[in-house]
Amino acid sequence: MALEDYRNDMLRCCRCSYCKWIPFDQVKSWRFAKGCPSIEYNKFQPYSAGGRLSAALSLLEGRSSYTDRFIDIAYNCLLCGSCDVACKVCRYNMEPLQAMHELRFRLVEDGQLLPQQMAIIEGLRKEDNMMMKLKAERGKWAEGLDIKDLTKEKAEVVFHVGCRFSYDEELWKVARGAASLLKKAGVDFGIMGKDEACCGGRAFRIGYRGEFTKYAENSMEAWTNARVKTVITSCSDCYHTFKRLYPEAGSKVEVVHMVEFVDGLLKQGKVKFSNNIPMRVTYHDPCHLGRQGEPYVLWKGKEKKIYGQMVVYEPPRPRYNGAWGVYDPPRDVLKAIPGLELVEMERIREYAWCCGAGGGVIDAYPDFSSWTAGERIEEAKSTGAEAIVSACPWCERNFLDAIKGKNADMKVYDVLELVQQAI
Amino acid sequence: MALSREAYQALEDIVGPDNISDDPSLCDSYAFQYLAETARPDQSHFMPRPVAVLMPGSTEEVQAIVKTCNRHKIKVKPYSTGWYFFGAPQKEGDDTIQLDLRRMDRILDIDEKNMFAVVEPYVICATLQAEVMKVGLNLNIIGAGASTSPLGNATSYLGSGPSTPWLGHNADNLLGLEWVMPTGDILRTGSLGSGVGWFCGEGPGPSLRGLCRGVRGARGGMGVYTKAALKLTHWPGPPQLPIEGRTPGYRSPMPDNFRAYTLAFPSWPAYGEAYYKIYDNEIGYIFHRQFTMLGADLGPAFWTLYIDPTKTLSNIEEIAKKPEVQKLTEEMRRSFQLILAGCSLRDIAFQDRVLDQILAETGGWKVDRMAEPDMADFTYLYMIRWGHKALNFVYTGAYLGSWAQKGTPDTMIQYQPLAEAGAARDQKSGLLVQCGGDSMMGPGSSVAGGGACGFEQFIHYDPSDKESVKAAIKHMHDAKKDAHEHGLPSGKEDLYLKIAMTDEQLHQQYANSSHPIVFHLQRKIKELLDPNDIGDRLYTWLPEPKK
Repeated sequence: MALEDYRNDMLRCCRCSYCKWIPFDQVKSWRFAKGCPSIEYNKFQPYSAGGRLSAALSLLEGRSSYTDRFIDIAYNCLLCGSCDVACKVCRYNMEPLQAMHELRFRLVEDGQLLPQQMAIIEGLRKEDNMMMKLKAERGKWAEGLDIKDLTKEKAEVVFHVGCRFSYDEELWKVARGAASLLKKAGVDFGIMGKDEACCGGRAFRIGYRGEFTKYAENSMEAWTNARVKTVITSCSDCYHTFKRLYPEAGSKVEVVHMVEFVDGLLKQGKVKFSNNIPMRVTYHDPCHLGRQGEPYVLWKGKEKKIYGQMVVYEPPRPRYNGAWGVYDPPRDVLKAIPGLELVEMERIREYAWCCGAGGGVIDAYPDFSSWTAGERIEEAKSTGAEAIVSACPWCERNFLDAIKGKNADMKVYDVLELVQQAI
Repeated sequence: MALSREAYQALEDIVGPDNISDDPSLCDSYAFQYLAETARPDQSHFMPRPVAVLMPGSTEEVQAIVKTCNRHKIKVKPYSTGWYFFGAPQKEGDDTIQLDLRRMDRILDIDEKNMFAVVEPYVICATLQAEVMKVGLNLNIIGAGASTSPLGNATSYLGSGPSTPWLGHNADNLLGLEWVMPTGDILRTGSLGSGVGWFCGEGPGPSLRGLCRGVRGARGGMGVYTKAALKLTHWPGPPQLPIEGRTPGYRSPMPDNFRAYTLAFPSWPAYGEAYYKIYDNEIGYIFHRQFTMLGADLGPAFWTLYIDPTKTLSNIEEIAKKPEVQKLTEEMRRSFQLILAGCSLRDIAFQDRVLDQILAETGGWKVDRMAEPDMADFTYLYMIRWGHKALNFVYTGAYLGSWAQKGTPDTMIQYQPLAEAGAARDQKSGLLVQCGGDSMMGPGSSVAGGGACGFEQFIHYDPSDKESVKAAIKHMHDAKKDAHEHGLPSGKEDLYLKIAMTDEQLHQQYANSSHPIVFHLQRKIKELLDPNDIGDRLYTWLPEPKK
């Protein structure tokens, strides 16, 4: 696809502003009604999805050209997909999120880059990770766990921890706990250790489509060599990349998030929680597990018109609008923990507020990223919860940092940490 | 044109560098507006580009901006949520700055006992409703829905809505108002002007509500409204709407003291008679013809797919062919929606009996499928929150409204066949969506039952297809001609067609109107309140006749 392929989306945007809010039916207060962090932080119209589409149209029509402001408009967005969900409450023939991805691809192709992100991409090219760390240190999180090395052995299941869990020592306990749980459940699995490479998803979201393709091909080749049929991950960013982006590149591997796996064990009676955790918690839906975590559906079709001008697709185009994301498994797991009380925030499931770590924003716009996380912490506090729980290391890291910055009294957990405590 | 550096600096000094920009792409995102393609050369989607965009954060900043613009002879175009081409600069060549009021988004007060709320321009209906429901109150949400600014529609546009029978017309619901006039002076109207609070629009204090908004509002052409008090009304429902179901067809379990009906009739005279009987019996919380906006031929198929999250618009042909949907389509041709709200269970039982009697006397019926729990709960939520209003755009991304002459039910059903035949004729070209000649929706009544109702014809066109856009423009001219040939005044299309006119054409039209004196009076007001002409022509007036 090219930016020009979204020209009709640009022209068909009705400028209704639904993209700025959560779906209006779900509005419960003035305080937590906003859906798009980008326009809430940056305020000007082009920092909304509709505004970006019209700025892109202006570019395509030659009415404007690349300026510092235009580049900022394109990159100063988390690509969290809140706009996409809200837009599609009333539209079947718009793809604002895809169009915004395409805008970034165009900028990268045209050499309109952000220095902070260029450094990250250079690190990726050199060390195969998005954390600007050494490749040689990638497998250290698993030291002493005695897990199969799939670069040397074979297994049907690979446990992919991703860049954040690999290098963020404070979060290693989650990755190690997940691996231990897989062992306890008797799963024949392995890891790629220091040879595990970035999934490529974060490069894709910054706009580096070529890097994504390279890392997708590398992963698929490594999995084929190890005879892998299923990839399990506890990183929601990686989950989305494997589940939604890899099939476009030809992957046929089953993709499971660790919370789905634990939920399955619970429902099959293969695991029981015996320890009481007397705590009130709230659950934060990661964008890439929730609204963007819907199953991939292969589609090759085209637009057609019926009834004169009605815009539809032949064959019917899959609809990614957040209706079928992974929302219940993490909640069911938390509800099964004795003593633990789950209370909901106002913005949840497909209309959850983003943690602020996505779309390359955490690297290029740290203040915006931190503000976005802080807004979520405020929302979590409003529920009376002692802890905010998530299922993605990027969310957890951003919350931990925001809490430190705000001196807030809120704990942060991964669902899997609480599972470990409860077993 | 560009702002002089001196003017830019003066404006930047007011709002700070983070809240002003003259970047071309940024300004173009403000120029891009719904319906622009029907008014601009070569069907461009861009209205004239503002020379800069500013985001003031307070009344004081707005006042300073307006005074600066007077000094530099720059036009000011404010908007709150900024939907429709009315919100953009209107004329090429005018140096216009766009005021985006989104930083002014606070609910300043909810006065539960006196039943009003004080809001800034960027507060939207959805958020205000969510807050006032917590204290048992509700506001009239206009037909354009939950995303709109209640201050904006009360001060600057029509202000009527589907809930107007119970909740009033927002032009009347406007109480105290803070207005930065085009000179930069601040006027506080009604009781606010006497420093005794926001509770009354007419005084004690200057009662200039009619002057500053008129019938239709100046749509940003006459200064900036920065705070407004809006009258609220009793809400007999829950403090928070519980939501169920998957997107997009969310629904809310209807409380026992509510009903959500789609009522259908064997003939248009029976339909009109039912309106009169509803007025006479004073029932109805929300009274609106809504679901036919997507066409009497296709609407029922659309609503059937919409509440099924596994379906998309691409399924509409197969769904429309289903026998049960075809039956529903025939059943709903002459139908409207009525939400009843009882202040007690006895009250709702009484209203139900009244409605049954009205149906018995007119031969009408409750459409069974629409009364089933899934559809009823969906209808109830849709009509209370108005959070799906952008479904107007679902077929193609654009529609325009024609007809919509307000009158009695007799007037309305008199022009209904004309509007239906005209749309059916224009749809035959294949350049408009062929969803049925009757794609009409509209309010059932004015305040307290009775008064104005109307049918607005929805014409769905593809804004990315210039031929389709041209067909939509042609339809507007056709509808105007059809109305005039039958002795009817112009409808809503005339409001849209004016945007493309030259000043000379506009003035000619005002001069030929039935009451040109109104436009001369407005010139006097304009001369007094906007001596440097910083507002645009959406505040309508006629030049002084040549002697």
